[in-house]
Order: sequence, then structure tokens, then C-alpha cells
Amino acid sequence: MSAIQDSSVVLEVSNLNKCFGNFVANDQINFNLTAGEIHCLLGENGAGKSTFAKCLYGAYHQDTGTVKVNGFDVKFNSPRDAIHHGIGMVHQHFVLVPTMTVVENIVVGVEKSGISTGIKDAAKKVVALSEKFGVELDPHALVANLAVGQQQWVEILKALFSGVEILILDEPTAALTPQESEQLFSIIKKMTMDGTSVIFITHKLNEVMQVSDRITIFRKGKKVGSVKTSTTNKIELATLMVGRGVHFEVEKETLEPGTLVMEIRDLSASSKDKRESLKSINLSIYQNEILGIAGVGGNGQSELFDAIIGIHPISGGNIYLNGDEITRLKTAKILGKGLASIPSDRMTQGLLLEFTVAENLILGSQWVSPFKSGILLKEKEIIKNAENLIKEYEIATSGPEQVAARLSGGNLQKLILARELSRDITCVMANCPTRGLDVGAIEYVHQRLVELRDQGIGVMLISEDLDEIFNVADRIAVIYQGKIMGEFKTNQTSREQIGLLMAGVTEGIK
Amino acid sequence: MSDILQVTFVVSLLSGMFRMAAPILFAALGELITERSGVLNLGIEGTMLIGGFAGFLATYNTGSLWMGILWAMIAGALMSTLLAFVVVLLKADQTIAGLTINIFAAGVSLYLFRVTFAGVATQNLATVETFEQIPIPLLSKIPFFGEFLFNQHLLTYIVIALVILIHLFLYKSKYGLVLRTIGDNPRAVDMKGVNVTVYQFLGVVFGGVMAGVGGSFLTLASAGLYSPGIVAGRGWIALAIVILGNWKPVNIMFAALLFGFLDTFQLQVQAIGVAFPYQILVSLPYVLTIVVLVYGRAKSGAPLALGNPYLREG
Amino acid sequence: MTSMNNEQVIKTKLKIVKQEIRNPWIDLLAVLVALVAGLLVGAVVIVSSGTDATEAYGALYEGAFGTPKAVMQTILQATPLLFTGLAAVVAFRGKIWNIGGEGQFLAGAMMTTWVSIKLANLPQPILVPIIILAAMTGGAVWAGIAGYLRAKFRVNEIIVTVMLNYIIEFIMSYILQNHWTDPKSSYPQSISFAPTTYFPSLFDSKLHIGLILVLVMVLLVYLLLWKTPIGYEIRAIGVNPVAAKFKGINVTRTILLTMLVSGALAGLGGGTEIAGVHHRLRLDISAGYGFTGILVAMMGQLNPFGAIVAAVFFGALINGSYLMQIKSQVPVALVHSIQGVILFFLVIAFVVRQYRIRKVQIDE
Repeated sequence: MSAIQDSSVVLEVSNLNKCFGNFVANDQINFNLTAGEIHCLLGENGAGKSTFAKCLYGAYHQDTGTVKVNGFDVKFNSPRDAIHHGIGMVHQHFVLVPTMTVVENIVVGVEKSGISTGIKDAAKKVVALSEKFGVELDPHALVANLAVGQQQWVEILKALFSGVEILILDEPTAALTPQESEQLFSIIKKMTMDGTSVIFITHKLNEVMQVSDRITIFRKGKKVGSVKTSTTNKIELATLMVGRGVHFEVEKETLEPGTLVMEIRDLSASSKDKRESLKSINLSIYQNEILGIAGVGGNGQSELFDAIIGIHPISGGNIYLNGDEITRLKTAKILGKGLASIPSDRMTQGLLLEFTVAENLILGSQWVSPFKSGILLKEKEIIKNAENLIKEYEIATSGPEQVAARLSGGNLQKLILARELSRDITCVMANCPTRGLDVGAIEYVHQRLVELRDQGIGVMLISEDLDEIFNVADRIAVIYQGKIMGEFKTNQTSREQIGLLMAGVTEGIK
Repeated sequence: MSDILQVTFVVSLLSGMFRMAAPILFAALGELITERSGVLNLGIEGTMLIGGFAGFLATYNTGSLWMGILWAMIAGALMSTLLAFVVVLLKADQTIAGLTINIFAAGVSLYLFRVTFAGVATQNLATVETFEQIPIPLLSKIPFFGEFLFNQHLLTYIVIALVILIHLFLYKSKYGLVLRTIGDNPRAVDMKGVNVTVYQFLGVVFGGVMAGVGGSFLTLASAGLYSPGIVAGRGWIALAIVILGNWKPVNIMFAALLFGFLDTFQLQVQAIGVAFPYQILVSLPYVLTIVVLVYGRAKSGAPLALGNPYLREG
Repeated sequence: MTSMNNEQVIKTKLKIVKQEIRNPWIDLLAVLVALVAGLLVGAVVIVSSGTDATEAYGALYEGAFGTPKAVMQTILQATPLLFTGLAAVVAFRGKIWNIGGEGQFLAGAMMTTWVSIKLANLPQPILVPIIILAAMTGGAVWAGIAGYLRAKFRVNEIIVTVMLNYIIEFIMSYILQNHWTDPKSSYPQSISFAPTTYFPSLFDSKLHIGLILVLVMVLLVYLLLWKTPIGYEIRAIGVNPVAAKFKGINVTRTILLTMLVSGALAGLGGGTEIAGVHHRLRLDISAGYGFTGILVAMMGQLNPFGAIVAAVFFGALINGSYLMQIKSQVPVALVHSIQGVILFFLVIAFVVRQYRIRKVQIDE
């Protein structure tokens, strides 16, 4: 594979099928990849892109269908077979060991003779590869100490190290700032110059248009089309992806912010490892307003959320809700004062999946009438409450007694919304409330948030998705390394400005 | 006490420290490897019990101590294979499965003991000759140090050698690197085509073999007899020692020596007839275990994926 | 496999699929399968030691249920098991691994002994409630140590409760040898207590109010776990402590509370055994009841009513084994083996029941 052969097909997939139980994740997928091209797989969450990629990488085994690499039929029993055929993959969630060094992460599990770890030789190779692509990296640094962009580079190095001809990147920009993404794109382009072919999985339309040569669109496990990037546009792609016209914008009328609902003054906090996780944060949330907190994941958003609801220890500052100080109060007290909290991880932070729908709908209110009288729970009231909320929030469930685990992701989120918003509240905090939802559910959540704002409730929306922030928020604050970098009215700022602040760049900004 | 007597007392204390530490250290090193593969084996106590019984029975019948060790290893391997089957292959809850091994082992060994030694007049009289201490030529003649460092059971020398070997394995070999990675993030090597199941299975079985040897050390090197209560919590203490040693072989050795010292100290104090309730002395290691757990909890060396069954699909 | 012909052959293959919801009938089936498997393995063991299994099991059944007296004895045997079983039900529902039922049982027994010696002059109607409270307090305190360390310092409660089991045995041995010793006995046991300390008997038999007490506890445990906010919180931290914390449940307090309730139940078991049956403290007052309680809870599916059935089953097994030993020379210890095997199969059955086998269509 020395010379660039533009039209030569390096990977060909015919009629690939993959089921999980009753669920058809991939349905008769046909696909090909030519040498040196960047081929995007576009689709919503759950459209089957990742499953397809994992089949190509041997991490999953397709039920039926054939895969040809360089014209030869192949059957991968494990990723090792795929690696032998020059296929490498960078996974959506990094698979790194934070307690080990860069080079240890790279050599572990790579086939070699002898019983030594081979760290020394590998370190040299890592340095050489990094230089070639213009990346600075200490091979003996602990992965835990690397920035997210560097960690991603380690992931790519893992593939390059074993000699990769086909590189699969699964949502590689999910955790990157816009600037880091640009750097990634230029690295990928350099790789294709050497004849490497790239499969690039994403659901972001802007990226697709910017980086790819060709695009294959997935919807609900099926391939719905394959187009050349130069002959298409975003609207067409979005329609293919979702199966109908998409509103990119949430409709909302302009409202003047009302009275102050929540005030955060000089809030500081430290994590377990004594690192300062929040540095003197000042924020105000007003009635009739949605405050968006923009930032790349892991910059203190969760700590902020957790500190407000009394889970993360606070080292300094004050928080007020409707004028009452709530700093360092017990969580139950804080939430009882009219704060609704929608945590980022539905499954682990928001719900008791083994409990019934009705039981989940009173989580946090188990001591409150009408659900309790005397020392006993009032089952009738609990069921009645569930029946009402299921109707009001259109939760698709067989009834109050159904176990929550059986509900779909969108309905689980509705369950949380129903529980939180049905209480007597003045302020809502939502952390990544649309993560992993399909377009319909995302629209539902956005509409609900706007409705709340219209009703005079203060809303704080923490999100890693800039589109969402610009769509929904009235005011945007940017968080970077536990600090608020700046605050703007949405209509008085730009994505570029917010993007730079998200990367911690303050020079050249007024 | 004269000076000479005092020196003798100290030497026998230090010598006993190694002897009492050895069985716990065997089990703890085995558990270290198991836990480094991400699996928690709470069945160590029961595995030691089975190992101790199998070893004793084999030696009692064949007269060979090494046959005893061999059968202790086999019994330990069988016991842990059962565990590996349920937790590594079936992905059962590791806590419940480990506890099951203990209850299972206690029942089976008690029954077999009653059946096999039913004919012996008083059961506790069934004894075997224990391992002899092997002084290492020249080295054992070093005054003071030689007397306790180089005058031990062969098994004690072996376990110290194992500390070094396991250290080299974990930190200098590619297999050790893979094992440590599996304990922290099994996906990282699974996605490179490493068979995680095989590593975890072998990790659990190795732990069982080591616990078996640890148990047989108690019957074949220390006591020369078997009783249903012979392990007396040492398997649990081994688990605590892995935590105290922060999942590092050399640190684990020192932690085991600490317990060995305490154990031999309380025995020596009893032996010289200090007027002190023996019950308090005997319970010292158990109290120390709790103290160790409270103060050792801040250690951060625990494998990150410890106790979580690894599932790729679904 | 690779070629796609025009004539597609539709074939089916069997696939194992994870089930999302639990079916109570399948749960029951899993328990029964484990039970039968345990007894079968026991039979194989009996046969391999040269005894007729039907004869041995026949004797076991006769010893457990053959006569009204045997049935009564079985119920007496099941009572402490049900107490320790309930203790495990409460703790395990909160995913707090209290393995210290044994130690808490002894703590309850010791507190009962202390009260029985000190307050022997009080009239029975006053003393009996005091004994009940004392026994529960003893068990709760002993469990509370592990609960506190777990809640406050996140110290593994399994190892701590096991260590506490050993420690309290030594404490008991010390006290029996030095303070509560019966001068007339060479064996370390306390003096016999005054009749004022006895639990009143039922129907003029050996049965005593401990039986009523334990059944009341079954009902209370059920109400606690499923009908009160506290029980809701215990079960919530059992399935998802993170979500519980996010919604304001005080996890630390709930862990401690769970351990206290669990310990109190085990402790009451110890007290009942003293005040209802032995009327004196002996070193071997608990024949591993704490550990068998874990089995009772597991086999009863962590359900207090299920625990009744399981306790009677294991009570019968233990009680019947004495006659089995006399009649067919199979050691009583066989019962412990069978218990271990049953638990082992239970664990497997619990995993397997999460899956069902489905036919899926494949085209080849």
C-alpha cells in the first residue's frame, strides 16, 4: 500500500446483519471504503454506526454478511485478527488506563516475542511517530495527567503502532474543543496522504461537511444512503439522518429576565485529590431565563452541579436559593426548597432502574405527604401520582407497576422530568439533559425547558453541545478548568468566541 | 532475664514471625494476582481450609509431605475453578459467589474430615510429621540474623522467592502488564484482541492454588494435624493484607510479616506464662485487621475494575 | 457460509438472550432446582461412602417430621435460623454484606445472660420484655461497629463482620471462664438462670413465645422494607446508592440503620435461644446459625415470607440429621455440605435465570 490508489477498494462489506436479542442493530448493510479516503458514517445516537464499526474491528461478530479487506474474504474472531489486517479503531469512550504511562498503554497486549514488556523500544517509536505528525508527547507521562486532546492522540498512536491501513474513529471529537478538533482533522488528512483510509463516525453535520470525501448515512440500523460530500448539503443530510425535516431552532419568544432565583457567590471546591475543581464561581439565575453553561466535559460542570445540590464538598463561597442560603445544607433540604435537579447520567444518578415507575416517581419525596402518612407509605397516592404523571408527560410504559429498566432512554428521561417538574419548584438545574437521546426526545426536552422558562422558572442548562446551548439558552457562561471564563447574552456572542473560551483562550477577546 | 535469654527470645520471635507470616503470605500473594485480574475472591478462607485438609489427608495416607502440598494445590485449584466458572464465565455477583465458596468449603471439609477420620479413636490425634526447618549452610551461621533469616521451612523460603518473582512478573513482563491492565480497564486489552476471560480464569485459579498451599502450610508445616477451625480467619486476614500492602507484592510481604509478628508474639507471651487472659492475646490479629482496614483505606492502589464482571456485549 | 444463493435457506439457531425483568415463577423454579441438586449431590456422597441414600434420607425425614415431637423440634430449630435469616434479608436488601450474624447472635445471647443474672429477681412479665430489648441491643451494637466503619470510613463490612465474629467468641470464652462460670461444671458455661427469665411456653410444650416473636418480626420486616419510607431508602441504597444520594437520601445514616436493624434481629435470635431453650449460656450456643441465616435469606429470595419456608427447610435438615447419624452412620456434617452445595447451585441458578433461550432466524 505504498502508492495512493484513488479508486481501489480496500474494504468491502456486503449484507451485514447484527442483532442484540430482538433488537436489530445492523440490517443488511452494504459499504465500501477506498484507499486514502475519509468516509463518514453519519447517524443519530443508536442508529447502529458504532455497532457496525465494532463488527469491522472484530469486537462484535456479525450474525451474517461478508467483509472483504483488499479483495480477500476475512472473518474476525477478535480485534487481534482485525489488527493483523491493518484495521485500527479509536473508540468513542477512550479505553486507556489512567494509572499507567503513555507507552505502557500503547504496548500492552501488542503481540511480540519474548516475555519482556518492550517499553524502551516502544518509547522510541512513539516519539518518532509523534514527531512525524507534529504532536508533542512524553511517552513516560501518566495518562491521567494528559489533556483530553493528548489522550486522544495516545488512542490514535495505539492504532498507528501496530501499522494501520484502515483507521476507524468513533465520535472522535465528542470530548474535544473546536480547536482540538481542527488539529485532529489535520492529523487525519496527513494520514490519508500516506494512503491510510479513515472511517469517521459522527452525528455532527458541520464536521461531516468539513472533513469527509464520502458519507454513508445510517438510520435505525439501516443504511439510508451513500453520497459524495461535494454533491450534498447539510439540509439533505439531516433529512436523510432523521427521516423527516428537522427544526434546528427551538421557537421561543423574547422575555425579560425576572427576579433573581439562584445566586452563586465565589463558590470554590476541591476534589478528592486536593485539586481545585471550582474556582470562585459567580453565577445568577433569573426567572424567565435559561442560563447555559458551556464547556468541554470534565471542566467542573459536574462538580458545580454536585456542589449546588450538596453532594460535592464546598471549600468557600455561598449559594442562595430565593434569598435563602443553601450552602452546605443536606441534599434533601436543598431540593426541598424548590430546586429540581436533572443529573447528567440518568441511569446511575437519576433513577432506580430495578424499582417500578411509580416508586421512581416519588424518589426524594418518600417522606412527604401525600405519599406518606404516619410511618407508612401510602400506596394509593403513589400509584395515583404515577398514573397522572404518565399521562401528563406521555411516558410510554405499561403502567405504574412496570420496572423502570424496561423503559427506553427517552422515556427514562421523561420519568425524571416528570418527577422533578411536578414538584413545587422555582429553579431547574439540568446537566446534559439530552445526552444520548434521539432527535424527537431532544426536541421534547428543549420544549419543556423553554416552557418552564416561560412559566417564570429559572433554568440552568449545563451542556457540552454548543448547538444546544445556542439553541436554548438566553445567556451563556463558559466554564473552563473550574472557572467561569466569561458570560454573554446569546444574541451578543458567537460560536467562535465561546469556542475559544472553552479552550481556555482569552487573548484577543474583549 | 539474662541477656542471652533475651536474645534467644528475640530470635524465636523473629523466626516465628516468618513462620506465622508464610501461610498468610501465600494466600495474599495469590489473592493479589486474582485481584489484579479484576476479580475479588472472597472465598480464600474456605479455599485455605480445603487446601489444608487435602494436604493433610494426602500426607497422612502417603507419608509424603510433598504429596500433601501437591494435593493442597489441586484442591485449591478445584475450589477456585468453581469460583472462576461462576464469576468469570457466568458473571455472577463476586461477593455472593465468594461467600458461597466459604460456606461450601466449610461444609465439605467438615464432612470429609468426619468420614475419613471416623475410625481414628480421637480425631485430633491424627497427626503427621511436619516439614523440618532447613538451615542454609554458612548463612544460617551468621550470628543473630542467620538464626531466623536462614533457618526456616523450605516453604518459607519459597514464599519469599515468590514475592520477588511475582514482582518481576507484574512489573517487568508483558503478561504482567496485560494482567494489571485487565484489573484497571479490561476493555483496553480486549479491544486489542487479548482474551480477558483466560487471564481472569487463570488469575483466579492461581489464587486458589496459592491459598491451597497456604492452608497446607498450616497443617503440614505448623501444626502437623488438622482441625476444622485451623485456618481461623487467616484467609480473611490475607484479604486485609492485600489492601494494607496496597496491591504491591513487596508491601504485602511486610504487611504479612506484621501479622506474623503479632501472632508469634501472642503465642510467645502465652508460652512464657504471663498472667494475662489468653483470649485477649488471641484476638489481637483480628482487632489489628479491623484497625488496618480503617487506616489502610486511603490507599489508592486498588485495581480500578476490581469486582466488576467484564461484559463486552449487551 | 459466504455465498449468497438465490434460494435462501431460512434456518434457526438458538441464542441466549438476557432477560430484563424477573419472573417470580422462574425465581421459584431456580430455588427448587438448586434444592434438588443439593439433595442429589448429598445422595451421591452418601452412596459413595457405602450407605443407602434412601435409607439415610428416610431417617432424615423421620427425624424432622416423623412424629409430632420431631415437628416441634424442627420448629424450635428453625426459629433461630429465621431470626438470622431475617437479619440477612434486611442487610442484603440494602446490599450491606452483613456476614456477622453469628457474632451478633452471640452478642444478643450474652446481653440476655447478663440481664438474666443481674435482674433475676424481677417478675417474669417485666423481665421478658427487658430480655428482648437487651438481646436486640447487643446484636445492634455489635453490628453497629461494622456499620459505623462502613458508613463513615467505607471500610469493607464483610471482613469487619467476620473479624467481629472471631473477637466476640474470644470475649465470650473469657467471660464464661472468669465471670459467669458455673462452678459445678468443668465445661465453660454459665449457671442456669432463674425461671423468671424464661420465655413463657406455648401449648404446654417446649415451644415458647420466641416462635410468636419471630413471626411478628417477619411481618415487621416486610412492613419495614416495603411499606415505610425507611425501607424504601434501604432498598434504594441497595439498588443504586448514587441515585439515592443525588435525591437526598442520607446514605451514611441508612447504612448504619440497616446494620443496626439487621444486628438487632440476629441478636434477638441469640436472646431467644437462651431465654426460650437453653436458659444458660454455653460456648456452643450457636451452631453456625449466623452463617445458615445467609442461606435462609438467599433461598428465601431476600423475602421475609420466603425466609420462613427456607428456615423450616434448613431447620428440618439439621434436626433430621441427628436421627440420620444414629440410623445410618452418616455424619451430621453432611448437612453442612448439602447446605454449601445448595447455595452454590443457587448462585448458578440466579445467574442462569437472567437468561432465556430464544430461537432466532438466520439465513445462511
